[in-house]
Amino acid sequence: MKKFLSVLLAAMMVMSLCVTAGASSLAGTYDVTLWVANEIVDLTKQQVDAFNASNDAGIVINATIEPVSEADAATNMITDVTAGGDIYCFAQDQFARLVQAGALAKLGKAAAEEVINANDPSVVAAAKAGDELYAYPMTADNGYFMYYDKSVIPDADVDSLEQLIADCEAAQKYFAFEMNSSAWYSAAFFFATGCVSEWETDSSGAYISIHDTFNSPEGLIAVKGMKKLVDSPFHLNSSSADSFASNAAIVVTGTWAYSDIAKMLGDNMGVTDLPSFEVDGVSYHLGSYNGCKLMGVKPQEDPVKAAALHRLARYLTGEECQMQRFEARAWGPSNLADQQSEAVQSNPGLAALLLQSPYSVPQGQIHGSWWDIAKVIADDVKAATDDAGLQQALDNYYDKIASLFTMSEAEKNGWSIIGMYNATDGFFFTDYNNETRSNWADDLELTKGDDGLWRTDNAYEIPAGTEFKVRQGKSWDNAFPADNFKVEEAGLYAIQFDEATGEITLIAQ
Amino acid sequence: MSEKRLLDASSGAPVKRHMGLKASRTAANTGIYCLLIIISVVWLIPFVCIVLQSFRVESTWQEGYVIPKQWGLDNYRNLFQTDFPRWYVNTFISALFTAVFQTIIVLCMSYTLSRFRFKMRKGLMRFMLILSMFPGMLSMIILYRVLSDLGLTQANSVPGLILVYVASSGMGYYVSKGFFDTIPKSLDEAARVDGATRFQVLKKIILPLSKPIVIYTVLTAFMGPWGDFVFARYISFGTSSGMNVAVGLYNWLNKDQIAKSYTMFCAGGVLVAIPVTVLFMCLQKYYVEGVTGGAVKG
Amino acid sequence: MSTNSDLEYLKLNHWQKIGYRIARFFVGIPKALGRFFVGIWRAVSTFFQLLGRELADIVGTFVHGDWKTRLSFVVMGFGNIARGQVLRGILFFIFEVVFIGYMVLTGGYWLSMLPSLGKVGPTEVYDEILDTYTTTYNDNSFKILLYGVLTIFFIIAFIYTWRQNVKQNKLAEKILASGKPLRSGKEDLRSLVDDQFHKTLLALPMTGILLFTVLPIVFMILVAFTNYDGTHNGYSNNLFTWVGLDNFNTMLNWSVSKGSGSQSYAATFGEVLTWTLIWAFFATFTNYFLGMFVAMAINKKGIKFKKVWRTVLVLTIAIPQFISLLYVSKMFAKNGILNGFLMSMGWIQQALPFWEDPTWARITVIIINIWIGIPYLMLITTGILMNIPADLYESARIDGANAWQQYSKITLPYMLFVTGPYLLTSFTGNMNNFNVIYLLTGGAPTNPAASGAAGTVGYTDLLITWLFKITTGPDSQYYLASVVGILVFVVVALISLIVYNVLPSIKNEEDFQ
Repeated sequence: MKKFLSVLLAAMMVMSLCVTAGASSLAGTYDVTLWVANEIVDLTKQQVDAFNASNDAGIVINATIEPVSEADAATNMITDVTAGGDIYCFAQDQFARLVQAGALAKLGKAAAEEVINANDPSVVAAAKAGDELYAYPMTADNGYFMYYDKSVIPDADVDSLEQLIADCEAAQKYFAFEMNSSAWYSAAFFFATGCVSEWETDSSGAYISIHDTFNSPEGLIAVKGMKKLVDSPFHLNSSSADSFASNAAIVVTGTWAYSDIAKMLGDNMGVTDLPSFEVDGVSYHLGSYNGCKLMGVKPQEDPVKAAALHRLARYLTGEECQMQRFEARAWGPSNLADQQSEAVQSNPGLAALLLQSPYSVPQGQIHGSWWDIAKVIADDVKAATDDAGLQQALDNYYDKIASLFTMSEAEKNGWSIIGMYNATDGFFFTDYNNETRSNWADDLELTKGDDGLWRTDNAYEIPAGTEFKVRQGKSWDNAFPADNFKVEEAGLYAIQFDEATGEITLIAQ
Repeated sequence: MSEKRLLDASSGAPVKRHMGLKASRTAANTGIYCLLIIISVVWLIPFVCIVLQSFRVESTWQEGYVIPKQWGLDNYRNLFQTDFPRWYVNTFISALFTAVFQTIIVLCMSYTLSRFRFKMRKGLMRFMLILSMFPGMLSMIILYRVLSDLGLTQANSVPGLILVYVASSGMGYYVSKGFFDTIPKSLDEAARVDGATRFQVLKKIILPLSKPIVIYTVLTAFMGPWGDFVFARYISFGTSSGMNVAVGLYNWLNKDQIAKSYTMFCAGGVLVAIPVTVLFMCLQKYYVEGVTGGAVKG
Repeated sequence: MSTNSDLEYLKLNHWQKIGYRIARFFVGIPKALGRFFVGIWRAVSTFFQLLGRELADIVGTFVHGDWKTRLSFVVMGFGNIARGQVLRGILFFIFEVVFIGYMVLTGGYWLSMLPSLGKVGPTEVYDEILDTYTTTYNDNSFKILLYGVLTIFFIIAFIYTWRQNVKQNKLAEKILASGKPLRSGKEDLRSLVDDQFHKTLLALPMTGILLFTVLPIVFMILVAFTNYDGTHNGYSNNLFTWVGLDNFNTMLNWSVSKGSGSQSYAATFGEVLTWTLIWAFFATFTNYFLGMFVAMAINKKGIKFKKVWRTVLVLTIAIPQFISLLYVSKMFAKNGILNGFLMSMGWIQQALPFWEDPTWARITVIIINIWIGIPYLMLITTGILMNIPADLYESARIDGANAWQQYSKITLPYMLFVTGPYLLTSFTGNMNNFNVIYLLTGGAPTNPAASGAAGTVGYTDLLITWLFKITTGPDSQYYLASVVGILVFVVVALISLIVYNVLPSIKNEEDFQ
């Protein structure tokens, strides 16, 4: 009762605050903690001062700026949201984890629209859970490419992985490419052969589905290429710039290492896209992730402060501030206008990223556990002695991914439809919940009626020639009919399935 | 047996054997010297390397060589541009307070358990033995929350840390209890017969005899906070001003900082090691006495 | 073997005796289990008998007591004050007031929420005018559990104090009836530095232990029965709740379950436990024997600069481990200084896989641990070695014993006897040796089969580092970490129990005095 009262009271307070806030303005002084990477602490201070001077709402931010690395920020926020920074920066792979922990405040509707229009769409996608935008894009340079020591590696060799490995072995120098401890890097081989691993989240940040083709003939080619690298005694599992200082000739890493490596190698520094590897006479160019860094606002109880914080975050990730960060630290902007500027396009680090970009894939949302599951592929690959062992590595990977979506008994016994949802263009099918499903990849669940028959919840406009099957527990162990079911005549149908006989019936509506 | 020895002695042979014995002893001692020198070298290499790197000027990252090409104090100077002095003061304060209070607590606990025979004594000791079998790592999560409710995390984590270090230190009574056990009880009893209260016995008789264990306890308590990076990191995250040296320096080895801060890390490490090492060197004698008097007696 | 008579037992040598005791321990397990359950039954029945007696005594005190005593049942300390023991009375009364105040103001709320661990999670409101979302935090499962437990502690303390209050009234009536005076407040205070001095001395340390060790452990045990993790953090996202024995089922079930990877948690637990035991064994005994050896070498007659050698070794104790171990870890890296040196000398063609190969990594951590551990052992054994009566060696020498015989017949048995307890604590300490593993390898190299959604498990991971990884892993599965913590306790307790039964020198502490 007491609790209820206090909730009620709090709700009333919030409401009254809304009213007063609406009436008055945002003017006032706010104590704000910002967590940013060490190297932009000073710059951020200047930017906050500029915000104080320039904003028209009379907001004065009294900022405490703490250096917290992007890697730590998420872990710290999850440990205790209350103690976390009001505004903080993080790498996009932490996004869903933060949304799930309730550590990110949704953007207002108008603000979201503005952000979406101003930034690179692939980056905006990374800041979305379901259809909701939860963070402000800050950079679009979170990818990797290759730095090499020109005194060891001839420029002519940089396109071939095999050649690079041979050069390193001959010179007794290391080829640093983080394979065993980070899936972010090791995925490069899979992207080379066209494999994908894409996840989908709902608006609460929970993962609802995955489309993953690592365990496939293409995946096998990828691990064959990976084996060449990890088997070399001069492969070094590192992405750290200072590997160059301790005997590495090649380091695969990103723009953030540019200035350090330039100091280490001087004129001998070479920067280029990743090489290609060859399997069975076919050459595959290594792919990469193309990710970004985001800025988030912690959920607030006071709407006025929340509004002020969002104003500040919007400013700090706006065109002007992104450009300043580019100029000071060469952080590649996600803002579309900034991206067009000549300085950005001619920056050598970003240029290498640009060279690599035809082969890179946008990172999107990826399940936090995926990184841990996928990073051990390289260890399995190294231990493998033959193709069967390589295939085993992929099978292990697949089993672990599958275990993320362990099904309940009801799900195991349930029947679903899988097939061509739209036969005419073989593309996507939209159902009543606006969910899109891929052909032969996503299931449409059936519901069991009182009469023991399974039916679709809705009726669908099904074109002639559509093929599908009905399967149990989303596995192919129990699927009907043996050949695909074919829709002969277009129409609006509900689909009915009898598990006793395996008979499929179309019920015209 | 001894008869046979006597016989040998009378035969004149012992002279020769004695020579042989001496020779073999010198040989053995030479072997031991070699061994000790090798051990010393192995033990010192890492420290020498750290010290050398802290004086390197030409680069700030890890290098494949040890001896700097260019010597200088740049790294030490740069330390003072960062929050390092603040961390150092934080650590020093927590070490100081921890040393004082922890010693009081540990001595109270161990003296009581060594000297008094009361109803719950055995049960208490067994209870604490069982408690000590739980991994302390897990308590971190909840201690953080308790401290954060008390407002003793982040910027205020120094008092918070002191509180936690001191509060649970009663568990570590074994060593000093072992020491007190070696002081004869008859001393207390004689004083009690003379009409001294228990408190007077402690103050006038036991404490003066306990110098080694007091110093041992102070020393170990003082050293603890300098090396704590797990719990300290857990309660001071996100607030540079509340960190201790271990946490601050540890963060410098993060991927995105190591290339800029590695030699500074070494310099910081040297500065951290100096007070603890000096103190340790000076009080080594007591440490040994405390450890051997107490550690093995359980 | 179990038929050994005392006489035959005495004839056995040291190792046989230990073997005999170990065998006896295992033979005795069924019996001990039997005794255990009988003991539990007895304890339960004694408890109820005791409870009955206490209740009878309380009722008796009320029925036979005077009005002062009866009023004290409600107003604590009244009897004391009325009979002149003002100090005691006031303390009782203050405690009662504080307790009631606490229960009314917050304690009742925490207690009432304990069964559900909270009902209303955070709610989000959209503000049209400001175009912002705001969050209202409601129930907080973490605080409910924490303060709920604290409240229960407080209630127990209150019941105990109330009982003392009743007892004192009865006692006071009895003393007054016999015509003697009661203790005054002054005398009470004086007794606190004299015959009740232990209470004074223990008050502060025990409070600390209760709040900062016992409370967290109780909390941690309770977390093992909830679903507290990163996505049910009880506050900013979903509340967490009781799940019964589900987590133990997840951890101890051999079938592959969600998030465990391609092998079950039980299999992973088994692997990590095995390595933990192997590690603890080698870490303890390599240090023990090598430390003793170094101490003996330094102490040997005719060796000069004893203090210098000792000081050099002791440096490793003085310098914080996070500095020295992190540095050493980088020295042994594939591209580290050591491999670089060996390669530049042409002794090896390619880097030695110190941290890359499971077996290499395990051996390397044990060897580096020797580097850390020898100095402690050197210090400890130096003292003990000096305590061994010199005439023992003298007579052995006269009997013609060589150095090895002197060592194995005198030094070692003596050392083992005296350091038995130390060996046990250092064994269990090594099982939980977080620093060495975390700073050197962080658990690497990865064990692919054991690693899964719950995080990475490496070949050098101990239970304690695994526990840490689970806590800080992608899903922050605190509940699983708690289960592992409880299992670590069970393992350590079991080992201690066995050793206690096998080593006689631990059992009787009075022997040392």
